[in-house]
Amino acid sequence: MSLEAPDTPETDAVTEHDPEELAALLGDLVVGRDDHLNAPGFVIRPDTVQETLSILKEQAGYDHLSVVSAQEYENRYESIYHLKKFDDPTQEVSVVVPADKDSPVSESAEPVFRTADWHEREAYDLIGIEYDDHPDLRRILLPETWQGHPLSMDYDKDQPQIASLPSHVNPIQEHHMDDESDTMFLNIGPHHPATHGVLHLKTVLDGEQVVDVESDIGYLHRCEEQMAQNGTYRHQIMPYPDRWDYISAGLLNEWAYARAAEDLADIEVPEYAQVIRTMGAEMCRIAAHMLALATFALDVNGDFTATFMYAINDRERVQNLLEDLTGQRLMFNYFRLGGVVWDLPEPREEFFSKTRDFLDQLPGSVEEYHNLITSNEIFQMRTIDTGILPPEVAKDYGATGPVARGSGVDYDLRRDDPYGYYDELDWDVITEDGCDNYSRLLVRMQEVEESAKIIGQCIDLLEDWPEEERNIQANVPRTLKPDDDTEIYRAVEAAKGELGIYMRADGTDKPARFKIRSPCFSNLQTLPEMANGEYIPDVIAALGSLDIVLGEVDR
Amino acid sequence: MGTAPAQLFPEFIAETLGISGVPGQVVGALIAAAVIGNIVLAFTGVAGPWAKRKITAAFTDRIAVDRIGPFGLLIIPAAAVQLLAKELIVPEGVDRPTWDIAPILLPASALLGFAVIPMGHLGPVNLQLADPEVGLALVFAFASIASVSLVMAGYASNNKYSMLGGLRAVAQNLAYEIPLIVTAMSVVIFAGTLQMSGIVEAQQDVLFTIAGFDIPTWYALVNPFAFVLFLTANMAEIGRNPFDIPEAPTEIVGGYQTEYSSAYFVLFYLGEFVHIFLGGAILAVTFLGGASGPGPESIGFLWFVVKIWGFFLFTQWARAAFPRVRIDQLIEIGWKGMLVLSFANLVLTAVIVGVIV
Repeated sequence: MSLEAPDTPETDAVTEHDPEELAALLGDLVVGRDDHLNAPGFVIRPDTVQETLSILKEQAGYDHLSVVSAQEYENRYESIYHLKKFDDPTQEVSVVVPADKDSPVSESAEPVFRTADWHEREAYDLIGIEYDDHPDLRRILLPETWQGHPLSMDYDKDQPQIASLPSHVNPIQEHHMDDESDTMFLNIGPHHPATHGVLHLKTVLDGEQVVDVESDIGYLHRCEEQMAQNGTYRHQIMPYPDRWDYISAGLLNEWAYARAAEDLADIEVPEYAQVIRTMGAEMCRIAAHMLALATFALDVNGDFTATFMYAINDRERVQNLLEDLTGQRLMFNYFRLGGVVWDLPEPREEFFSKTRDFLDQLPGSVEEYHNLITSNEIFQMRTIDTGILPPEVAKDYGATGPVARGSGVDYDLRRDDPYGYYDELDWDVITEDGCDNYSRLLVRMQEVEESAKIIGQCIDLLEDWPEEERNIQANVPRTLKPDDDTEIYRAVEAAKGELGIYMRADGTDKPARFKIRSPCFSNLQTLPEMANGEYIPDVIAALGSLDIVLGEVDR
Repeated sequence: MGTAPAQLFPEFIAETLGISGVPGQVVGALIAAAVIGNIVLAFTGVAGPWAKRKITAAFTDRIAVDRIGPFGLLIIPAAAVQLLAKELIVPEGVDRPTWDIAPILLPASALLGFAVIPMGHLGPVNLQLADPEVGLALVFAFASIASVSLVMAGYASNNKYSMLGGLRAVAQNLAYEIPLIVTAMSVVIFAGTLQMSGIVEAQQDVLFTIAGFDIPTWYALVNPFAFVLFLTANMAEIGRNPFDIPEAPTEIVGGYQTEYSSAYFVLFYLGEFVHIFLGGAILAVTFLGGASGPGPESIGFLWFVVKIWGFFLFTQWARAAFPRVRIDQLIEIGWKGMLVLSFANLVLTAVIVGVIV
């Protein structure tokens, strides 16, 4: 396994910073402390965001802006920049930026972290904080004609909204269309076979080559965050995560919420349940990666490709196992805070043998995919050296998951920020150095095999687990009311990358703020970097290799 | 060629009906053309709604149509009714009548090509409409009209995807028609004639004998290199994977067909399938000994059917297995690779034929 060439001084032993050191480093910039459960939090003035983040990025090595979460309090607005290190994601720091209640203006972090672009647009769209120095502060999830900011306190829910757009609108026209140039504007989507859902790419073409591409998202925005804020921690939130990345990655999503809520309410999960969770989550990962492979083949080979059906077939097999385990094929709702809802299906031996059968035939299937696509010369011609995403750019955009690992960024929360049973098991993090469409596909295909390894070990463990110690749920109170003003950000490695949840408790049984850090949202942001200057088919391939699910991008 | 030319299909009909002279020629030609046209259309009727689904399903571990009629065969009339019953949507701003002519031109051009194809004997009947001395040149000329139709459709649809598809179609056909025809020229050098029946005739000698089986001098066996070149160029010519980029549904959503619905859509589909069969027919005539095969000459037509359906099967296989190349890569393969190779093949063939004969 090769790692990226070190551009920065070798940080093998990533230096730990204790909060006092960081406070000293930031000096006068810090005006207060607002620690979160996961990280120290420094309150800064809204006009020093860039300065603070630059210091933390350049001097302390916090090079990963996971997410920007924003919220409104009785007396102020607040943006929180959750920073991590790609080399060691357990080192976290939160930068809390309060903004004035009457005119919430805060400096944009976009010049320091490119990924802040979309995150701040979302905060502007839903909460109403304005970001100074932001290159393009427009609504992102809601239609441009929307009135008000739905997650702000004075939002009038009964206000009628007119969501219309003039037809054939070309919002980036003036940048590219003048009398001399002969570029063409092309709408790819929202209904297009290769956009994997309702995504709209505003594309400017010069012949067949792409001059500029801009993603227009929000078509599948279902207010998931707000729905979660209206649900109780204990029972009502868990069904929602299945609907984010709905490409059968349900258990991985559920784990993101479970992990955050369990840490927030200080719940210890029994080991046996952790093994079941680990096994189920990896089954979901296989299902999700199989679909990624299938649709990528569809994008590059064209419809009628055999690979698509073969991969879907394998996905069905793993879904059969998930159905045996959870009773569902897509919307599992299997995790509970403190464990899982029920034990393995009886008879256990049958479930184990079915799972082993699946694991036994999987290497053959992967081999066949290698024969069919990755070793095909035309396929290599199409995917190698197209859709280039250099590691530094990937980090700057907060790309995670197979997209980052395909660019040689060795970042996997299962290993780097262990949860569940992963650190007890023997498996590897896959990275590839190609930074292209081909590498991202290879990473996914190898991750399927690693997941199979994990499932195999889990099965062995579960088989030998003494019957009296099969504890599937911890004792969790019927109503959870975490302490007032506790905040937490926790992430897991979902199929697409770092899926994180930020929650703020206000002493009630429902979260006061529930923010989803969607890996697809950040990954999709990299599309223009990969697509500009390439041909249309490469844009389609690059989009396919990002493996986005619009349910998770739009939430 | 020493043998007397076989009686052509129109002459056979005129003689059977007992009409002579010009009326006989006209009646014979019309009836014969209708018969041949219907045979080809019947092929496409089977191929489009049924065989294509079944073949693709076999390649992708599925079952496909099997509910309606034996083996799902009644899906053919069902699909016909369904497609024709759809509303014809004429988008705003299309350039009529160009937009209307294009879907007629495509199947027409491909069907015209069959006028000179010797489809072999069925009993006493020789299924060939005409056998002009420039037959091979004529068939390529007819087949090339298809590109004009694609450009017309792409341009007249007033849709950017169609436009891109039309442009891709021209670029692709320019890049592949030349190697295709140059490779066919090497066959002409072997056969010494452009006449279709003459080319078939020249492939009937015995190349060598293995264990009592006579291996004929089919040009695919005499010059496999040219055969592979021709096959590849032919795939590009008919626009099938790995060269289906003028349509590329996952990129430009069907290209020139995007705006066509109902009967016009059927005509396009029909045209494409007739084109595949014409490609198979040209391949069979130039490289696979036309209608020849084991058994008496009177079942030649069956061998011909086997050959063109074999080619159809090949296109569907390629479709299930091969990725699509990118437009710039396709142009590169065409102009920098195939063109050079096809000329090399031509010169080499000319030298060899010159030395031996």
